[in-house]
Amino acid sequence: MSPGPLSYALISIFGIAAVVSGWLVFRTDSMLKAAYWLMGSFVAVGSMLVVVDAQFLGLILILMMSGEMTIMAIFMIMFMMNPAGLNPMVMVHQHRTSIMAGVGSFLLLAWVGLVAEFPDRPAPSADPTVGLGEELLGRSMLIFESAGVALLAVMIGAIALAAKRGRFGDAYDGSIEPDIDIEVESAA
Amino acid sequence: MTALGILTQVTLMLVGGAYVLAVADRLMGGSSTGVRSALSYPVRRLSFLFLQPMSTTERPDFAVWILAPALLAALAAVGAVAVPIAGPSPGGDIAAGLVLFGAAMLVVLVAVFMFGWAPNSVFPMIGGFRFAAMVLSIGIPFSLVVLTTAIPAESLSVGVIVEAQSDLWFVLVQPLGLVIYLITAAAIAFWGPFDLPEGSDLAGGIVAESSGARLAMWRFGRAALMVTVSLMGQAVFLGGYLGPVLPGWLWTLVKTAVLLILLALTGRTMARMRIQRFVWFGWVVLLPLALVDVFLSGWLAL
Repeated sequence: MSPGPLSYALISIFGIAAVVSGWLVFRTDSMLKAAYWLMGSFVAVGSMLVVVDAQFLGLILILMMSGEMTIMAIFMIMFMMNPAGLNPMVMVHQHRTSIMAGVGSFLLLAWVGLVAEFPDRPAPSADPTVGLGEELLGRSMLIFESAGVALLAVMIGAIALAAKRGRFGDAYDGSIEPDIDIEVESAA
Repeated sequence: MTALGILTQVTLMLVGGAYVLAVADRLMGGSSTGVRSALSYPVRRLSFLFLQPMSTTERPDFAVWILAPALLAALAAVGAVAVPIAGPSPGGDIAAGLVLFGAAMLVVLVAVFMFGWAPNSVFPMIGGFRFAAMVLSIGIPFSLVVLTTAIPAESLSVGVIVEAQSDLWFVLVQPLGLVIYLITAAAIAFWGPFDLPEGSDLAGGIVAESSGARLAMWRFGRAALMVTVSLMGQAVFLGGYLGPVLPGWLWTLVKTAVLLILLALTGRTMARMRIQRFVWFGWVVLLPLALVDVFLSGWLAL
């Protein structure tokens, strides 16, 4: 399917939405909203992929991001000394460094975009999902499978470490308060 | 079908299904006032809620509080678009329809979390956190059993999956899949034994501070979500619009209503599960069972 004016219009709209919501990540005053603005940005990128006929990739991106951004928000709230992330807070810090990093990475990416030679061939006419499957389980199988097994090992390890049921049994069984009359050392 | 036609069809499906669910739930709930009263119950309840004033809290996030119910209903509609209702659509339907549905259902987490966070109040927020724990525990089994139905059909398009069941419904090939699907779908719609985010043990949880039109919209969004998961469940497990004598759209409606009533029944008859036990249940029981289901269906399809 050759891209028509509608595709270009949609891609532009989603692109602008992705950039604006990415900017709002830093302009908002709460960690939860920052996480969900970032998710909005990813949803816009996923929609761009859907417009260019990569339905599966675009939708999987949106699917993954909903859970990931919520986990990110929960972790940010956990690590901040801010009751449940409800108090307003400034989302930017280290202004000089971040401005330099932002401008630097923009210039680098723009340079890559201008200089790199992008492939010109159109997508194969067959189902793009089939092509993706052949890529994943064809010549790139070793890469993806090793990455997959490594990630799986990390996940199992993390669950084993975080599991409530340790070698002393269930955490809920063990959570008994100590006796009131603890032997207090004389505070001399 | 035109965009307007699809919009009308999905809206009618969701509103009608929500009505069926509300009536079934009222009847299962043991109301002794009879069937006639239960039939008018959704309308009475809705008018009551719309006349009730909307309470508010100290410094809530108004925009998020209003957007979350809208997002919930919108996600239900997006998920429902993937399912063909009357028969094979002439232009073919959405190629990755199953993934669209899965993505819409997992973004429900965002809607619920936002709705719990917005009122700036403790019980709703605990409800939101609970739902995050729930969805992370059952999200993988849910996605796995939905995607498993794509293995025998060799397509992610729901229309092709329905057509692949012309000989045998997938519920007979992979009955385990339907069981896991119904459990996880009820949890995603925070319904029945899994209504932990808004359980009475949390003083109402995410809806503790909501009343009036806001509560009405939230209740509709959840009912619409139940309709969407039932609609997808009948399409990928019960043969969708396929069936003798009756026209296709009627089969879709009947099968969707059957699943809705089944879910309403379990929601009213089974005891609520504690969140700790539910998380354990999701990771230790449902996830391995879903993997078994994937291996079985792959083995049968080869």
